Amino acid sequence: MAESQAADLNAPVVGMDYHMHVQYHEVLCPVMREFADALMDKRLIGHKCPQCGLIYSPPKGYCPICVVPTDKSHELELQQRGTVTNYTIVTPVQYHGQEETDRFAKASLQLDGGGTLSLQDLLEIPVDDVRIGLRVEAVWASDAERNVDEVTNRSWGIGESAIRGWQPTGEPDVPADELPTNVF
Amino acid sequence: MAKKTEDIAIVGYAQSPSYRQAELTEPQFLYPVISEALERAGVPRREIGFTCAGSCDYLSGQTFAFVMNLDAVGAWPPISESHVEMDGAWALYEAWVRLQHGDIDTALVFGSGKSSPGKPAEVFPLQMDPYTLTPLGADPVSLAALQARAMLDAGKITEDEMAEIAARSRKSAVNNPYAQVKGDDDPAVLLKEPYVTAPLRKHDLPPISDGASAVVLATTEKAKELTDHPVWIRGIDHRIDIHQPGMRDLTESPSTRLAGKNAGVKGKFDFAELSASFSHQEKLLCDELGLGKDVEINLSGGPLAANPVMAVGLTRFVEAARLIAEGGKKRGVAHATSGQALQQNLVAVLEAE
Repeated sequence: MAESQAADLNAPVVGMDYHMHVQYHEVLCPVMREFADALMDKRLIGHKCPQCGLIYSPPKGYCPICVVPTDKSHELELQQRGTVTNYTIVTPVQYHGQEETDRFAKASLQLDGGGTLSLQDLLEIPVDDVRIGLRVEAVWASDAERNVDEVTNRSWGIGESAIRGWQPTGEPDVPADELPTNVF
Repeated sequence: MAKKTEDIAIVGYAQSPSYRQAELTEPQFLYPVISEALERAGVPRREIGFTCAGSCDYLSGQTFAFVMNLDAVGAWPPISESHVEMDGAWALYEAWVRLQHGDIDTALVFGSGKSSPGKPAEVFPLQMDPYTLTPLGADPVSLAALQARAMLDAGKITEDEMAEIAARSRKSAVNNPYAQVKGDDDPAVLLKEPYVTAPLRKHDLPPISDGASAVVLATTEKAKELTDHPVWIRGIDHRIDIHQPGMRDLTESPSTRLAGKNAGVKGKFDFAELSASFSHQEKLLCDELGLGKDVEINLSGGPLAANPVMAVGLTRFVEAARLIAEGGKKRGVAHATSGQALQQNLVAVLEAE
């Protein structure tokens, strides 16, 4: 035993590939189903916390700050126009399974009239022109193409199959110091 | 010489029903469970000194799912909080240790999991040795079947006894509103069912469950202030056997034996709540802990009736606390397990005043 172990130390290292695939199927929770149904009607909805007034879109069914439940009675429709409050430029690394090749931006938006969205795609603007304060509006997928297949409990709510992204409105930028400081 | 540990008490507890497939998200069904445990304890959310959670991102298939679960706690302004990628029973252990420091007097513990989105036979092999066992698809059912076969071959159990354990668990679960598998089954009829993975039949296996449970702990002084019926943790310990199942004698559980000894499992017990996810494991655990026929095992139905992985061990504490605080029982054992085929085990002795 000891002899064979000693001999192994001089053997070349052998590598092994192991590709795993784990598939998950999750049912859409009731508040997300309502959110998805609204997207099919080209409406963006959220829940407003009865205590602190923060608006959650997609709705969670509770306010995690105040720890109070929210339901249909706290639902409101959000405006489809807003301002970029922050963004990240992603440079795709070409790991196995990566489908993106070009740099792209993901933006946080403050919607007019209240409500925020995270990780939104920006359209019709070069990545290097993306900036805080940029005014944008929703670009919906056409009636024929629009679906909510990408809406899951675990996503940030809107797949590109419903709202394709957000494009500049051409309005002047909002000065950074006029933007709200809240993330959610 | 080591300082004697302070007795910590369970002063609040709650659990969700065990769902085959929960429609709600994990934080959504955790939310009422945590609220109920806190209300039972009579401790305002903001006064909790330490919060610890147990869950597994691989189960739901979402990175940082454990952070989402904090939505159900109320974590703003920031709280003192921790997480274990283990059953909630180990979160309870961490909170128990934290309370020994003496600077805080309450802790909230919870465990939660959604097993329904993934296939357990695909997800669980990922916790195994990635070179030899994960590619083989070594899942809990296969390993439990090897363990049951080893016990049968060693004469430590019979298939009749396994069916009797399953039938008794299902019958006990009839009175448990949170249980998923319940009913009055004749062991002789159960034995006519085909094997799922020989020598295990469907009744020997736990259900696939989504669910959550929560416990509120308090120091000795605080517990007496909060309730007339504290459930005392008189001893608690957890031990681990070697990771590679091929190097273990699967018919024994030295880690359970040692944890039981260190937790003070001796003398008379009214009941035990054991994380025996497979029927034969109940026998093995009773043998290792020295629990005789006079001890009532899994009056809740146990994991064969409700198996919300990552909460199921903590639920043993919830059920034990319920039996003592509401059911008139005096002394019991709570047991939780982790890893494969009873690899890691946590044992506690719980008592009424």
